[in-house]
Amino acid sequence: MKTIRLFRLELRRLLQSRLTWLAAGLTALSPALGLSLYKTADASTMLSMYLANPAIAGGAAGGILFGLLTIFELDRASRSRVDVLLDAAVSPLCMALQRLMALFAGAFFTLGLTMLLWLPVSWRLIGAVFGAADYLLAYLLLMGLALPLGILSSAAAYQFTRRADLSLILFAAFAALSLTVWADNWQLCWLNPCVWALSDDFSNFRIFRSVAYMRLTWLAALFGIWILSWLCIRQYGKGILGSLRRSARRACRPAAALLLLAVSGTAYAAQPFVDRSNLDETAMSFYEMPYAEGIVCTGRSAWVFPDVKAGSLSGRAAYEFQNTSGQDWEAAFGVTPGYAITKVQVNGEKVPFSVSDYQEYNEAMLRVSIPAGEQVELTMEYAGFPKENRMMSTMQGRAEISGAYLCLENAALSPRLLNVLPDENGYPAAVEITLPASMLVIPFGSSDARVTVEHEDGTRTWRYEENGTGGILYAGDYVREEIEADGFTIEFYYGRRHQAVMEAAGAADAVKAVVEYCTEHYGRLSFGSGGKLKLIQSRVSGGGYATDGASLLDEADFTAANLSNTDKGAGAGEVMIHELVHQWWGLGNMFDVPEPDSPWSAEGLTVYTTYRIAKELYGEAYAQEHYVDQWQQAVDDYYLNFYVRNPEYLEMLPEEKQLEITGSLTYVRQYCEMPLKILKAEALAGGEEAMDQILKGLFNREIDPMNPYLTYQDFLDACGLTKEDLSLA
Amino acid sequence: MKMELQDLCMTYPGGKQALQHLNLSLESPSLIGLLGPNGAGKSTLMKLLTAALLPTGGSILADGQPLIKTERQLKSRLGYLPQDFGLFDELTAAQFLDYMAALKGLRSPGKAVREVLKAVSLEEKAKSKIRTLSGGQRQRVGIAQALLGEPSFLVFDEPTVGLDPEERIHFRSLFSRMAQDRLVLLSTHIIEDVQAVCGRLIVLNQGRVLFSGTPEELIQAAAGHVGAFWEKDAAWEQGLHITARVNTSHGVRCRAVADRLPAYAREEEPSLEDAYLYLISRGAAL
Repeated sequence: MKTIRLFRLELRRLLQSRLTWLAAGLTALSPALGLSLYKTADASTMLSMYLANPAIAGGAAGGILFGLLTIFELDRASRSRVDVLLDAAVSPLCMALQRLMALFAGAFFTLGLTMLLWLPVSWRLIGAVFGAADYLLAYLLLMGLALPLGILSSAAAYQFTRRADLSLILFAAFAALSLTVWADNWQLCWLNPCVWALSDDFSNFRIFRSVAYMRLTWLAALFGIWILSWLCIRQYGKGILGSLRRSARRACRPAAALLLLAVSGTAYAAQPFVDRSNLDETAMSFYEMPYAEGIVCTGRSAWVFPDVKAGSLSGRAAYEFQNTSGQDWEAAFGVTPGYAITKVQVNGEKVPFSVSDYQEYNEAMLRVSIPAGEQVELTMEYAGFPKENRMMSTMQGRAEISGAYLCLENAALSPRLLNVLPDENGYPAAVEITLPASMLVIPFGSSDARVTVEHEDGTRTWRYEENGTGGILYAGDYVREEIEADGFTIEFYYGRRHQAVMEAAGAADAVKAVVEYCTEHYGRLSFGSGGKLKLIQSRVSGGGYATDGASLLDEADFTAANLSNTDKGAGAGEVMIHELVHQWWGLGNMFDVPEPDSPWSAEGLTVYTTYRIAKELYGEAYAQEHYVDQWQQAVDDYYLNFYVRNPEYLEMLPEEKQLEITGSLTYVRQYCEMPLKILKAEALAGGEEAMDQILKGLFNREIDPMNPYLTYQDFLDACGLTKEDLSLA
Repeated sequence: MKMELQDLCMTYPGGKQALQHLNLSLESPSLIGLLGPNGAGKSTLMKLLTAALLPTGGSILADGQPLIKTERQLKSRLGYLPQDFGLFDELTAAQFLDYMAALKGLRSPGKAVREVLKAVSLEEKAKSKIRTLSGGQRQRVGIAQALLGEPSFLVFDEPTVGLDPEERIHFRSLFSRMAQDRLVLLSTHIIEDVQAVCGRLIVLNQGRVLFSGTPEELIQAAAGHVGAFWEKDAAWEQGLHITARVNTSHGVRCRAVADRLPAYAREEEPSLEDAYLYLISRGAAL
């Protein structure tokens, strides 16, 4: 009772300090930094730009501000000599605890204030894809937990040193480590979590879990350190060691500190999010495994049960082998780190197995000893929380398993067979997966999933068949639209949360227009299968990929902000067209990484094609005004740009400013200068029809697998032109 | 309330012996004056009595229990005004006292705050920010916080510093009233303060008790050792300690203490100040 009274009292006193209000006010305003100066989440989803960045900036600034406030508050009592009065009334240990609690309360009050203040702003900026759960979790985890960490670390520094100046130096160094050296280590960046993207259209629980884990690990560590420093609070006129000896007489106190430090250390070492994959990207030992002689795989099955609440998965897989060697052999599988193999049986009998510590490309190797026998059925059970590749540790979130979205790739779906050849039918596979009824299952490929069982608990079991050792499966709260275009059936899947944006942008019309135009002018996409192609919007992943019968659209390309980017198209519908054209120029044909000052990239041909589609849809005058004139204006300005004319001055600027200017200039080169060059090439080559033939030839050219990129020289050669011919100067 | 000091020693980490083998018993109701020159060990003794320091030797018993084991109970019954203290400037006087009342665990802090503000005549400044108060008013807030909760053991270290003569008289009587049913320990350099109200004096010098008794006993002990003489007549013998020099129309009149007064000195009736100075000049217990 007295503790609560003391806490309320200390909090009231804290709230009467002007400095507290200054720290709270600045913290509440600090998310603005995330909109302008401090943008660590570089994905272009609305939630990355307008939620993650402000929350992370708010956390970094708030953590520092509350750390400074803590040092000031702790030092104030001794600086003003009021501590002699307080110590006569209550133990300094009790007082320090009350101050800590009051500072925590002040921090959470500030967090609440910040969330209220920024709610309407975020709502307006994020638009239709705003979600209350994302908002709450982002501010609590990305911002909120930074504040107690700042308080604990600075309080510990002060309680150890009892000097404000030294504490400030220690705290500044600790914060600086997080912002610099540790910035790319997802476990150490306590102030500025590694969040590169938040999904607008699907869920973000995986990345939120990862940040929460990092923050709780630090919270345990800093609480442990704080308790140690608390035991060092000077009492009875004694020094640091004398006070520690005195305060540590109650064994539970140092024991609590050591327990917390041990918990933190264990949590750090045994983190469940990122694997220990070999950092050498050229290592291919799993792919270069020799095949077992005389063995073929005649089929496989998987029964998969994701736990969408826990973000984990359990499953059972069965493999059928034919062994003509007459000998014992060893089967090898790639297993997603984080999954535990619980049971392995051969023809119903348990057999020994081992899982390697060595990991490569997000897989560990499971080895199973299989006795000689012509027909072998191998079954295994596995379960766990999938880990992500440590090479992508700063870009976590791909292995999302939630009620709104999941993507299971290869071994994450079921163990991937490494060393057995297929029979004449390939690796025929049947996969069954049980998910909440709200989720639509989309195999990434030509096969279709169908519901086989509707369960009473609100889940459904889906089944599909495919051929291969792995496979990718998407599932989520998707909207499915079927679009007929040029004799082709496009199955267009996008997140339900994005429905309003997609409809406003006329997504279905855009898909139809693009498919018809590009197929007619350039040819069919090579990954269309049986007259059908799935276009699947994926959770933000930093790019797309395609396979036979399916192609991926990164949600970041379809955000409301991107769809209003007039450099890509005159309106949202045309930006949608632009992004879809990338299926031909970008995914269907890959482009080499250009020189830093080269205008050549997938964007040039994509913008040009978008212009041609707009011209066909809306007329020449429209296309001239909204495309060609815009490019010309931007290019004219570009050639007049001071740094373009005097590049030597650019080099004199700070690196950050250089990058900003270079990025802006690169944008003009790729999105405006190159389309104008292509337009000039079109005129020199003999008009639109001639250019269409050239591009068709390039699109359908025979691709060298070792160098599959379409280069600027390829383009010039196909046009029969030189770089100089296309000079706009 | 009874505080017993048994063979109490305090040596600071630097090696300075602040208190040596003190044996005292302090019992309520009484108002005890603690006197001694700078560095005598008065503040150290007060810190030990308020559990701000731990003794390096001997022990302190509070009502028969070792102080270190009953620290929490002691603090709940303690009112302490240290010599050098500060206040939270951003709070008002009433808010600060309310804060201290809550720290002391008082059940009706509002009433207690009003009472102590009245006791130190600061009612009209109750809602003034502490940063706006004068030095004397801040001192009164300090005294007020010590009085909160009617503590049974009050320790005041130079409480009347910064107060004007009228206020000093007011506080002397306040301390005297307080001591009617409590144990009050008052450390001061102002002999006048203790002479007026203290029933018992403890004189410390160099960490040792030179005297413990009533003011009358101290004065009596100095009888025959205080004298006055004209400076021009003085031969400045060894052991003669001048306590006052007054310029008059006939020359400088000196007042002095000595074990044996010289012949040219006329014996005078000792005051408490004379007695205290005599004691200190001897450097040994009477």
